[in-house]
Amino acid sequence: MSTPETVATTRPFAPRDPETFFKAQLRNRRSTWRMSALCVFAALIMGIPLTLVLTPVFYAITMTTAEVINRFSPLPPAFWQNANDLAKLAYRVADTLIKQRGVLDPQELAIGAALVLLPGMVLALMLWVGTLMLFRHGGVGGTIASLSAREPNPADLKELQLADAVQEMAIAAGLPAPKVMLVDSVGVNGAAIGTSPTDAHIVLSRRLLDDLNRDQLQALVGHLVASVGNGDLRIAFTVTSVFETCGLIITLINAPFGKQSRSTLWRIIRYTFRRRPADAKSADADEVAELLADMLDLNSTDIDRFFSSRKPGLIRKFLRLISYPFLFTNMAVELTLWFFLNVLLGPCMALLWRTRRYLADAGAVELTRNPDALAGALQRLSEDSTVMAGGSWATHLFVVNPSGDQSLRGVGPAPDQQRKFLAAWRESENAGRTVRAAGTPVLSTGAEEEYARVRKEMMSTVMAAAAGSTDAVARMQAFAKVVSADPALGLHDMPNLNDLLLAQRGDRTAIARIRMLQQTRHQEGSPKRGQSGLQTHSFLSFHPPLNKRAKRLQKMGAHVAAPTRTGSSVVAKIVIALLYFIIGPLLALAGVLMLIVIAMMIGLNLIVLTLWLAVIHWAFAQDWARNIHAFVGFVEQVIQIFSRGR
Amino acid sequence: MDILVVLIATIVAVVLALLYLLRVYNGLIKMRNGVRNAWSDIDVQFTFRHNLVPNLVESVKGYMSHERKTLEAVAQARSTAMKAGADIATRTVAEMALSGAVGNLFAVAEGYPDLKASRNFLLLQEQLTTTENRIAFARQHYNEMVRKFNTSIAEFPRNLVAVALGYTPEKMFAAESHDRANDQNVPVS
Repeated sequence: MSTPETVATTRPFAPRDPETFFKAQLRNRRSTWRMSALCVFAALIMGIPLTLVLTPVFYAITMTTAEVINRFSPLPPAFWQNANDLAKLAYRVADTLIKQRGVLDPQELAIGAALVLLPGMVLALMLWVGTLMLFRHGGVGGTIASLSAREPNPADLKELQLADAVQEMAIAAGLPAPKVMLVDSVGVNGAAIGTSPTDAHIVLSRRLLDDLNRDQLQALVGHLVASVGNGDLRIAFTVTSVFETCGLIITLINAPFGKQSRSTLWRIIRYTFRRRPADAKSADADEVAELLADMLDLNSTDIDRFFSSRKPGLIRKFLRLISYPFLFTNMAVELTLWFFLNVLLGPCMALLWRTRRYLADAGAVELTRNPDALAGALQRLSEDSTVMAGGSWATHLFVVNPSGDQSLRGVGPAPDQQRKFLAAWRESENAGRTVRAAGTPVLSTGAEEEYARVRKEMMSTVMAAAAGSTDAVARMQAFAKVVSADPALGLHDMPNLNDLLLAQRGDRTAIARIRMLQQTRHQEGSPKRGQSGLQTHSFLSFHPPLNKRAKRLQKMGAHVAAPTRTGSSVVAKIVIALLYFIIGPLLALAGVLMLIVIAMMIGLNLIVLTLWLAVIHWAFAQDWARNIHAFVGFVEQVIQIFSRGR
Repeated sequence: MDILVVLIATIVAVVLALLYLLRVYNGLIKMRNGVRNAWSDIDVQFTFRHNLVPNLVESVKGYMSHERKTLEAVAQARSTAMKAGADIATRTVAEMALSGAVGNLFAVAEGYPDLKASRNFLLLQEQLTTTENRIAFARQHYNEMVRKFNTSIAEFPRNLVAVALGYTPEKMFAAESHDRANDQNVPVS
C-alpha cells in the first residue's frame, strides 16, 4: 500500500473549501440573478441594431400604405405635414450626429431617438410576446411524441424503482409528482420537460435503469425534480422563446420571397387559429417550434434563392427591382441576428442555464443527502453515449449534454475508494469457490498498479462468467454483495449482475450488452463534439462541463477525485500564453470587422429604403392614368437601366 | 401646498407599510400551511405502509413457516400502529416499532434463497423500500419546512407579526430518539 501522494493525477481526497448544499444553492441563485441581468443587458444591446434595421422597414410599409390609401381617399394634409416635419427632424438629428457639429436641442434628440428606436423595439417586443402566447399552451405532448417515450411498466422491477424514486423525490421536494416516461434509446440520458411544475414530465432512457443503482437513479431523478422545483422549466421556455422570436423575424422578412418561409408562416397561422385536441395541438407546437429554429440556420434562405436564379423572366426582373430594398434589410437582419445571438445573447443565456444546472445539482444533494450518488451517476453518464434521438431542439433540457461530455471519462475513483475496492475484491475471494487468475502475487508496487491489475482480473472474471463459468458468477455475486455493503463504493462501472446471470443461461442479448459495455469502457479516442438544438446558436454549450459539476459535488462531500490537469511544462505554458495573445486580438479584430459590416448593412438598408420612399412618393404624385405613355416609357427606361446594369 | 405634500407622503408610506404587512402576513400563513401539509404527507405515507404490510406477510408466509414469531411481530406492530390514533407521541413510537419489525423480517428473509429469488417478493420488497424512503423523505421535507418557518418567525420585522398571530416555533420531527418522541408537539391537520 502506498500513500495517496504517489497518485499523481488525482487530487487529495478532501476538498480544500467544502461547501454545504444550502450555501451552494444560495450562491447559484445569486449568480442566476447576475446572469439574468446580463441576459437582459445583452438583449438590449442586440435590440439596438435590430431596431435600426426594423424601423425603416416599418416606415417604408406605413408610408407606402399611406400613399395607396391617399390615392383613393385623400388623407388630411395635417398627416403629410407631420410626416414631413418628422422626416426633417430625423434628418437634422442624423446630420448633426454624423458631422459632429452644431448643437442639438435635447427635446429634438429625444424625439429623434424615439423615432428611430421605438417602432422597431415595439415590433420586436410584440413578436416576442406573440411567440410567448403562441407556445404557452403548447404542452409537452409534442416533445414526448418526438422522443417516442412510453410509460413505465410497473411489473418490471427496475421501472417500478424509477417510478418510486420519482415519487420519493417529489415528496422530498414537496411538489406534485411529475409524470415519468421512458425512452428505449441507445444513449443514456434524462430530462425534465414541460412548462410548469404541474405538467412536468421526467423522461429517462431505459438503459439508464440498468446502468445505475437505485441511489444513483434517485440522485439523477432528484436533479430533475429539483430543477422543476426551482422553476427551470419557465426559464427554459423563455430562453427558447427568444430564439423562436428571432426565427419568426427571419421568417417574416423572407416570406415575400419564397415557399419555405411562406409555408412556415402558414403553419404558424394555422396552428394559432385552428381548434384541435390538446395532444395534436402540442405536437403541432413542437413542429412549429422546430421550423422556427430551422429558420435561424443561414445556409440557404428564400431571399438568396430569389435573387440568385440564373435567368429571371421579365416579371421576376421587375419584382427584383421593386424588392431590392428588402434584400439589404434581409441581409442586415440575418447578419445582426446571427452575430449577436452567437457572440452575445446565446452565450449569456448558456451561462444562465448553466447556473440552473449547478443549482439543480445542489438541490439534488439537498433532497437525497447523498452527493456520492449524483457524482457516480454523472460519471457513469460521461462514460457512455448520451445521444437521444428526437427532441432535437430540447437538448438543453437534458441532464448531460446529448452531444456527449467525456470530461469525467477515465477518472478513476479516489485513492481510498481504490483501497476499499481492493479490500472488497480480496474479501470476496474467500466467499465463493473462486477462479484464481493465473499468477496473482501481491506486489506492493503501489495502489494504482494494484488497482489496475485487479480491475483486469475482474474483467477477465466477468468474461468467464459471460462464457458460462459457474465459479466466476459465484465470485462476481460474492463481490457484488461485499461491494453493496458499502454505499460509498459506487458500482458505477461494474457490469450488471442480472445480465451476467442471463448470459449464463445463454441469453444472447445479455451477452451482447456485456460485450458492448466493455467495448465502450475501453474506447479511448476523441469523441465528436457536435452540438444540436439551441446550442448551434451559441458558441458556449448550454451544459456545464461534467468535471466542473463533479468538482462542485466534491465540495459538497462527494467521494470523487476531481480531475486535475497534469502539470504541463513551462515551455508548453509559454506557447499556450503566446497563442492566446495572438488568437485573442485576432478574434477581437474579427468581431470588430463583423460589427463594421453590420453597421454598413444597416446604413445601406437605411439609404435604400429612403430612396424607395422617395420613388414611391414621386410615383404616387404623378397622374399616371392621364398620361399612360409616360408610364410605359418610365417602365421601359427602368427595365433598360436595370438590365444594362447586370 | 406643503401640507398636501406631507399628507400625500404619509398616505403613501402608510399604504406601503400596509402592503408590506400584508405580504408578511400571507407569507407566514403560507409557511404554516406548508408545515401542516408536510405533516399530513408523513401521515399519508404511514397509512400507505399499513395497507402494504398484510400483503408482505401473506407472500412470505409460505416460505417462512418457522419464523412465526417474526411474522407475528410484524402483524402485531402494524395493528398497534393503526390503533395508535391521533396522539402523535404514541403514534410515532408505534410507527418506529413497525419499521423495526419490517426491517427484521427482511433481514430474516435473507436466509431464504427461494424467497429472495421470487419475483413477487422482489417487487414487494421494492414497495416497502420505497415506503420507508417516502416516510424518511416526508420527514426531511417536514423538518425543512419547520426550519424555514422557525427562522422566519424569529427574524426581526416578522417576529412582531408572528407574535400578533400567536405563532410559536414548531418542533422538528426527531426520528432517531425514542425518548424525545414523548414531548413531540407536532400539529395535526
